[in-house]
Amino acid sequence: MRELDQIAALTPALRRYARALMRGDRDAGDDLVQDCLERAVAALPHRRRDASLTAWVFRILINRHRDLMRQAARPGHLVPVEALRPEPAQPPGQEHHMALRETEVAIARLPEDQRRALLLVALDGASIDDAAAALDIPRGTLLSRLARARASLRSMTGRAGGDTAAPRPNGRP
Amino acid sequence: MPHPDTPLSEEDLLAYHHDALDARDRASMAARIATDPAAQELLALWTRQDAALATLYPPEEATALPDRLNAALAPPRPPAAVPRRTPRLALFALGALGGWGAHGLFAPRPAETDLALAALKAYDTYVVEVVHPVEVPASQRDHLENWISKRVGSRLVPPDLSASGFALMGGRVLPAADGTAGLFMYENAEGARLTLYVAPQQDTADSAFRYAGEGATQGLYWQEGRLGYAMVGQMSRDSLRALAKAAYDQML
Repeated sequence: MRELDQIAALTPALRRYARALMRGDRDAGDDLVQDCLERAVAALPHRRRDASLTAWVFRILINRHRDLMRQAARPGHLVPVEALRPEPAQPPGQEHHMALRETEVAIARLPEDQRRALLLVALDGASIDDAAAALDIPRGTLLSRLARARASLRSMTGRAGGDTAAPRPNGRP
Repeated sequence: MPHPDTPLSEEDLLAYHHDALDARDRASMAARIATDPAAQELLALWTRQDAALATLYPPEEATALPDRLNAALAPPRPPAAVPRRTPRLALFALGALGGWGAHGLFAPRPAETDLALAALKAYDTYVVEVVHPVEVPASQRDHLENWISKRVGSRLVPPDLSASGFALMGGRVLPAADGTAGLFMYENAEGARLTLYVAPQQDTADSAFRYAGEGATQGLYWQEGRLGYAMVGQMSRDSLRALAKAAYDQML
């Protein structure tokens, strides 16, 4: 498969990841993906072959997201209500929905670096090595970042006790 | 791999959970997890977290790429030939660049973005207040109305949102770009708070509802005459829109 076709095949995964990074805003996610694709296509001839194509493309997207977050410390997205996508049906009072909503809020509150890491492996299913390459951090850093993200998620969703394990020390040998 | 006597760390378990171990390490981890209930619970929790994330953000259809993404995937062409993104990204940059001549159907004027951001900021600042959420409580209703109206420069009567379960707590005044803004705060029986921010605008205009959001905080903005309004809360867009509509109708 040509590299351009491989990038095209990655696009649904990029869109899913970008949408989650942009807190569910699909248009903002697609803005990010468009930027990423334009850069990837333009830079393809100059690409260094030291990481997988997948990790390379995700890295472009992540860098673009970092720029965007720096630029817009308070993202001022204003759109006419008519242009909004309908929210998914939310039967009120269902515990399942409450848990999802809690997770959504908790994810939005994670520090950006933890959010990028967790969504990359948990949502996209990226391998630990690919994700570390995409985030440009060592594997051990990624694992401890993931541990922090999952622990924050656990404490923010009020499921710290009872049905889950107690926090445990990181007993590295 | 950790020594058999060392407790399993979350990092080791994460490598296992995300299938990042070779076959031998994986097998020996599996054997240790089988005798470690705490590790089993942690793995089950992570599986639930993954499932919640997958439900929140389902996969995108591979077949239905927007045109602008297909265009971006085309082999390199002169930059001018690539269709630009929708004007919405310009909005995103407004705060940083300031005064970017906004155009296009969806692009609000910079003043509107400023007002929405000021309203979100006011919400973030005062909604967390336990002791002093408002300067003048709703119990001094007449004083509240007269004071805020005088400072903002327009007759303002806080809307009655009790039909939606929100009771007026009171209000305060705040500095704004073009004068003084008023902030009314409401609370429902579950302790959820809602703010209505009203600020004078330089231009007179009537606008449609616009949405502004940051994280879990959502806001709806509109302008009527020389006043800009923003209703901000942490709730679904539909609920917020119904509340904003009620406020709009009452404040006409």
